[in-house]
Amino acid sequence: MAEYQYKGMEIIVPDNDREHQGYFEAARERRLVVQRCSDCGKLRWEPGTACPWCTSLTWEWHQVSGKGTIYSYQIVTHPIQPGFSDWVPYPVVLVELDEQRGEPTEDEALRIVANLLDDQNEPEKEENVAIGKRVEVVFVDASEDFTIPQFRLLDETPGAPLWQFQAT
Amino acid sequence: MNGPGLKDKYCIVGVGETEYSKNSGRTTQAMAVGAVRGAMNDAGLKPGDIDGMLSYHSGDSTTSLAVTTDLGVRLNFYMDCSGGGSSTEALVGLAMGAIEAGMCHTVAIFRSMNGYSQFRYGGTGARARAPVTGNAVLRIPYGFMSPAQSFAFTFMRHMMEYGTTSSQVAHARVAHSKHASQNPKALLKKRFTVQDVLNSRWITKPLHLLDCCLETDNATCIIVTSVERARNLQQRPVFIMGVAGRVSKPRADMHYVHGPITRVAGYYAAPIVFGNAGIEPKDVDLTGSYDAFTFTTMLMLESYGFCQMGEGGDYVSGGIIELGGKRPNNTSGGQLCEGYTHGMNLVIENVRQLRGLADDYCPQWQAGVHTYDYSEGHCRQVKDAEISMNLGWGTPATSSALILRR
Repeated sequence: MAEYQYKGMEIIVPDNDREHQGYFEAARERRLVVQRCSDCGKLRWEPGTACPWCTSLTWEWHQVSGKGTIYSYQIVTHPIQPGFSDWVPYPVVLVELDEQRGEPTEDEALRIVANLLDDQNEPEKEENVAIGKRVEVVFVDASEDFTIPQFRLLDETPGAPLWQFQAT
Repeated sequence: MNGPGLKDKYCIVGVGETEYSKNSGRTTQAMAVGAVRGAMNDAGLKPGDIDGMLSYHSGDSTTSLAVTTDLGVRLNFYMDCSGGGSSTEALVGLAMGAIEAGMCHTVAIFRSMNGYSQFRYGGTGARARAPVTGNAVLRIPYGFMSPAQSFAFTFMRHMMEYGTTSSQVAHARVAHSKHASQNPKALLKKRFTVQDVLNSRWITKPLHLLDCCLETDNATCIIVTSVERARNLQQRPVFIMGVAGRVSKPRADMHYVHGPITRVAGYYAAPIVFGNAGIEPKDVDLTGSYDAFTFTTMLMLESYGFCQMGEGGDYVSGGIIELGGKRPNNTSGGQLCEGYTHGMNLVIENVRQLRGLADDYCPQWQAGVHTYDYSEGHCRQVKDAEISMNLGWGTPATSSALILRR
């Protein structure tokens, strides 16, 4: 059983949970991976036992580019966990990965939850966060044995107009 | 059109609850006993008349057996189910099924929670310190765990796709607070304006504090039995026309991989519940749309077809959902103002409305005499309420619904 400490949280990945164990092992090696069905070839997220499209139980890890687009976001100002009180306001982003967008049906995609960080690994400023911005994974070493995938803004032209929240 | 359901064969015959507070000073067992006893008294049922029990919890409550021991009830059927929002309507359907199967004849459904003083639903306190395991390891380490945080992506995306504004959804708070000001039981009776909502502090953008429901200590109960038994009881029966229970989206994960993420589970539940009841949204006189957040009220009304997709902002801000409007919503003040009970109080309110016995400040409300004066401190009874509907939210991916008639 792997036990990690991160921002005051105790993160426990039991030995029998090979999906999440493999995910964090890959992150330790600076690879962002998702499961790929060995039968139909479709990628899937979040990690699970079987393929949601063809129900096959066989799969392998598949490294993705780590690039994507902000699909939705929020700016947390009221911390729930004590470890986040010195981080507020912090963005949580829903990143749509470049791989398998709009497949197998129109509005589906691989969407990953993460924080948007700046180049100091601090929460990115609110004015820089917008739906449509291009982002790339970064790997943050939280301790000697635990690395957490996060995202950072990418200096790339967005494919669609940006949208930013205004409280009106 | 009649669906495969059990339209008008079962009734809600009793409702009860304890005080809505932030410090009950009692155990969930003590509160549950109070709520079930209240519903039994309301229906005119004795301990020997109840032989089924259902409850739901999030590891924060008591059990059916503990409650029945205190009430002198012996059960032929019970289950204590795991669940939060959208459980009430689903359990009404399960109660009907248990009776239909011949397992029992009268079922008390309860929810008891010290949601402020013990198990905070906003997620702070002990819950925020619990070890993180399972698929939560891909969410909680990002400071993404509370209901507000978990649902915010859908809310934000609705604003982006449809131009929905903070001011529009704030009208849900305005309407429900207006209703709460006519409800002697409501925990929060103050009337709020749109500006009050926009001026309240941020929780997680796009949610202000006043976009979020209360956290409450409370227990609630409703009693379901067959129409044959219902006719001999104390209250005018309220008939169950249709029910849909815990209908889910194709992918029920919290990474929103199945889109569009603004299409919530009510979209899938609507044909089931309306099919069972044989009615359409236009036939509904009042709604109880789950208000964990101002946004959830809007999303449910939209996904069940009370307005077109994307028009929810206009619908909730146009006066329709207020007392005196075309189809009032959450006339007790709902979970934004009366108290947060994981949805049971919204069903209780609709039962009282259909009886014509909303407990407001009208001098003769107990005789069913109402003034229909909706100015502050007066009436909250909907005139000629015939059909009500509850729209239950569990998450964006889970929804239940219940259609009742007088």
